[in-house]
Amino acid sequence: MKLLSLIVKNVGRNLLRSALTALGTMVLVLVVTLVWSVLHLIDLVTEEKSHDVKAFISERWSVPSRLPYSYASSLCEGAARADHPEDIHPTDAMAWQFYGGTLDPKNPSMKSMVFCIACDPRKVPTMMSGLEGLSATEDAELHRSVERLLAKRDGIILGRNHLLALSQKSKDGKQSMLEDPLGRKFSLSGFSNFKGLDFDFEICGVFPPGRYDTLAVINRDYYNAALDAYPPSHAGVPHPMADRSLSLVVIKVDDMQAYNRVAEQITTSLRFQNPQVKCETESSGVGSFLDAYRDLLWIMRVPLTLACLGTLALVLANAISISVRERRTEMAVLKVLGFRPGQIMFLVIGESVLLGLLAGFTGAGLTYMTINWGFHGLSFPMGFFPVFMIPINALWWGVAVGTGAALAGSLVPALSASRVKPAEVFSKVA
Amino acid sequence: MTHTDTPIVRVEHVHKFFRRGSERLDVLQDLTLDVPEGEFLGLMGPSGSGKTTLLNLIAGIDSPSEGDVWVQDERISAMGEGQLAHWRTRHVGFVFQFYHLLPVLSAYENVELPLLLLGLSAARRREQVLNALDLVGLSDRIRHRPGQLSGGQQQRVGIARALVTDPVLIVADEPTGDLDARSAEEILDLLGAVSKSLKKTILMVTHDPRAARRADRILHLEKGQLVEQATVV
Amino acid sequence: MQGELIVSELVRLALTDPRSLWVLLGLAVGMVLLLLAVNRIPLSYTLRNLSLRWRTTLMTSLAFTLVVGLMVVMLAFTTGMQRMTDGSGQPGNVIVLAEGSIDEAFSNLNVEDLGEIENLPGVRRDEAGQRLASRESYLIVKQPVPHPKPGRSDSRFLQVRGITDAAIAAKVHNIQLKSGSWFSAAGVEDRSGVDSKAAPAIQAVLGEGVAGELAADRTPEEAAAGKNPHRLDVGDRFRLGEKDWVVTGILKSSGATCNSEIWANRAKVGPVFGRENVTTLVLSTADADAAVQLRDFLKNNYAKANILPQVEKEYYAGLSETNQQFLFAIIVITTIMSIGGIFGVMNTMFAAISNRIKDIGVLRILGYARWQILVSFLLESLVIALLGGLLGCALGSLANGLTVNSVVGQGGGGKFVVLELVVDANIWTAGIFVTLLMGGLGGLVPALSAVRLKPLEALR
Repeated sequence: MKLLSLIVKNVGRNLLRSALTALGTMVLVLVVTLVWSVLHLIDLVTEEKSHDVKAFISERWSVPSRLPYSYASSLCEGAARADHPEDIHPTDAMAWQFYGGTLDPKNPSMKSMVFCIACDPRKVPTMMSGLEGLSATEDAELHRSVERLLAKRDGIILGRNHLLALSQKSKDGKQSMLEDPLGRKFSLSGFSNFKGLDFDFEICGVFPPGRYDTLAVINRDYYNAALDAYPPSHAGVPHPMADRSLSLVVIKVDDMQAYNRVAEQITTSLRFQNPQVKCETESSGVGSFLDAYRDLLWIMRVPLTLACLGTLALVLANAISISVRERRTEMAVLKVLGFRPGQIMFLVIGESVLLGLLAGFTGAGLTYMTINWGFHGLSFPMGFFPVFMIPINALWWGVAVGTGAALAGSLVPALSASRVKPAEVFSKVA
Repeated sequence: MTHTDTPIVRVEHVHKFFRRGSERLDVLQDLTLDVPEGEFLGLMGPSGSGKTTLLNLIAGIDSPSEGDVWVQDERISAMGEGQLAHWRTRHVGFVFQFYHLLPVLSAYENVELPLLLLGLSAARRREQVLNALDLVGLSDRIRHRPGQLSGGQQQRVGIARALVTDPVLIVADEPTGDLDARSAEEILDLLGAVSKSLKKTILMVTHDPRAARRADRILHLEKGQLVEQATVV
Repeated sequence: MQGELIVSELVRLALTDPRSLWVLLGLAVGMVLLLLAVNRIPLSYTLRNLSLRWRTTLMTSLAFTLVVGLMVVMLAFTTGMQRMTDGSGQPGNVIVLAEGSIDEAFSNLNVEDLGEIENLPGVRRDEAGQRLASRESYLIVKQPVPHPKPGRSDSRFLQVRGITDAAIAAKVHNIQLKSGSWFSAAGVEDRSGVDSKAAPAIQAVLGEGVAGELAADRTPEEAAAGKNPHRLDVGDRFRLGEKDWVVTGILKSSGATCNSEIWANRAKVGPVFGRENVTTLVLSTADADAAVQLRDFLKNNYAKANILPQVEKEYYAGLSETNQQFLFAIIVITTIMSIGGIFGVMNTMFAAISNRIKDIGVLRILGYARWQILVSFLLESLVIALLGGLLGCALGSLANGLTVNSVVGQGGGGKFVVLELVVDANIWTAGIFVTLLMGGLGGLVPALSAVRLKPLEALR
């Protein structure tokens, strides 16, 4: 305990140096935490699950996927045949129809675009990934939003980014959309393949911050009704999306064995030939999309991480080396008093590790609070992930990184300190 | 010993005190002193008597709390920090007890340091540095670093550095304090020679009676006041 | 919001106007030269102290090496991406998509509208009098990867461009073949005389990037038997959409987005993937001004079709939005890491000053002014930084020429590309500027602390 107390006192001996080292550590841990948070989420979503497996069924060859809506009910049943009791039915399923509309039809742009998923609202809390780990409050509010969407056919649940866009649009001096969005109305005009499909919506909920900031959910009945109503007002010509409005079917099965069975049911079924469909697990589907970013992810995983850790180790090593060099006389005195080399090494390593550990934890903690609470997530352009949240594990990463780098950086100075020869030191001092 | 009677240094009613928290420490009290040009003056006294403080005031390293210090008709006590730095380079050579040579520079480079502030050509600087080192008997050590020189040799380099700008005043704060007896004698001989041959005014703080014997005059300080003078015959 | 605008503007300047970097570097170098000019304390004093404490100097410098080296590699990525989007498109071309399309993949042109547009006066003709207008179908298709490497996905996305007339398309896009020939009018290999029930392979011309990507699917035996070990070449076959494809040519496409595309006959491509619509019409005009005129006419005065006309160069420039986001991320990461490096050099300099307090006192007594001490220590910090930063630039430059995969484009749409990392003079400029900035900032506070010392206190 005396040694520990000495370690703590040594850290406080040169407060300026300790502060600079701690700040440098915190800053570098911040970068590592940000990078690892991105990689962590990507690894999570691309990790193959062993149970409660979700699968995506989409058009086999082309992107974007456009399937006839008539495929929906059968695919939601996993293409199980009524006369084959051994066929497996998914435990849950959800059909997605994509719709894109703009808030500003005269000047459509990315900023004014609202990308919607038309679906059965009841499936939102159970089938949309990323909504599992919500707090009790957020979960309750999501369920209330779903109830409102079920009751209001022209309702919409929005992501936060769309609320921001709407609040900028309405500059009429009324209360900001962000504070009180429920019940507010707005219109969307279909663009690109959805041109001609215009909707009036009433906001009935907001997604919690995170993965759905840039998405919205609408009632599929409202969307399909608009598709059905198109021909009468367009000389009997159906909308181009009418027969290709189904974008994706998400199913859930118990485990990989069930998935393999259902996948076979779907891909061998003769009902889905024009166009053909493809069935893949959620992790595989996300993985193939992220494959284009594989080099970028490698740069983050290897050179960037190593550079940060290396810089961190150097900062800590530098600080502890300077400290050891300045205290050579002291090390010599300790030896004369009977301290063993191992104990002196422990003192030096302990000093560095204590600083690294505390600074690493603080750095990661501050990153967690600032990014999650202050910025509602890290915005990084990677596919359909609008934001990355810092996981609570990051606190341990900070501790591990700070401690590990401190240990690596202090080994050589500690060894040097343990090898101080009192006779040499005192002859110089004299 | 002959020297002119015109005082090159005039200290008039100088007070110097320091504050330590709320406490005031009076180091020098109403001190008046003249130093003629060319004099080798020794300052002696017990620890804390104010002799180093007085030396620092005359060398322009510190400023009095009250009173004036004149060197060669220049009222240095009224100069600002920048002016004093400029003045010191050109008028004062300082010899330290612990030499205070820059350890990474050679003897030549240490002596050259003050000349770099005078805007001299490289050739001119070289000439002056070599003269100074020759004067102190270290012409064969110009490339040596302080770590490669003995204490006495390092002090010689210090004296060469003090002389190289041809200052009007040399101040030495216990120049033999860190030397063995033989080295100390050599340094004192050197200072004496500098005083006589170059007719430099030298102010030396010392505890060493041998050093005191080399001086033309000894001043004793006690509790910040001059208590007696003695002229060494 | 203001901060976002300022940073966006800085990013835009950095991307579009490298002169701003050169100006900044010029200022920084000017400051360093000024410091050297006014420095009175010998530089040998500074350099020797650095070599005396060589371990500390080395560790501090290496931290700079890592920060700057990483920055150079990341900037090489964005520069490569910028070069790709800048190198794509022809100045005289107008690209026409369906109105409201955010990307070619989401466009669906009405074929009945295209004839009249192609015959507009601004569209130029070739020697044979044919209109230089190319109707194309741009598709993103999924392909299973036959032998996925560990940790890699078992499928990938490929970009297929269905071309109506290869010869016209080559003239419109001003693109040549590196090897081989264009696909035939039929679009499939000639199997006359071959006794085989198998359907003829679809002929395709590949960009070099995608040719390399597909080559990775070959077994070692196939690779050994192929003409080129690193990419597919003329005569090589691959499987896509349950069809056999045969390579007839390789595009000379390095540095453009078509580097990652598979070009084939549109009539063959559409049925394979169930997308028989025309997504894109590319019109060739006389020059850049003519393209602007045609674009403006189509946008403002042509109401017969719901189209979105853009000058092709501007269309591809718009794809660099992703690049700007990456560049912003790089700036943020580099800034944060630099701050860590600055704290590191501050530690080193504070320690150096602490060790040399007596030197500082002596110099002050000798007459050196405060600012001269400041200059000396600032230079010391800058030397440490430069040692590491220059090495970082040099090591980072080793990434020049490496190829990486990425996505360029706006949200919702995007092109999968193989791009080459480019380390150019601008990146060196940025690297040296960041080095000097870190060294200057890291040395300033310790140097200021050094000059506050009183000479007498320093000597005690």
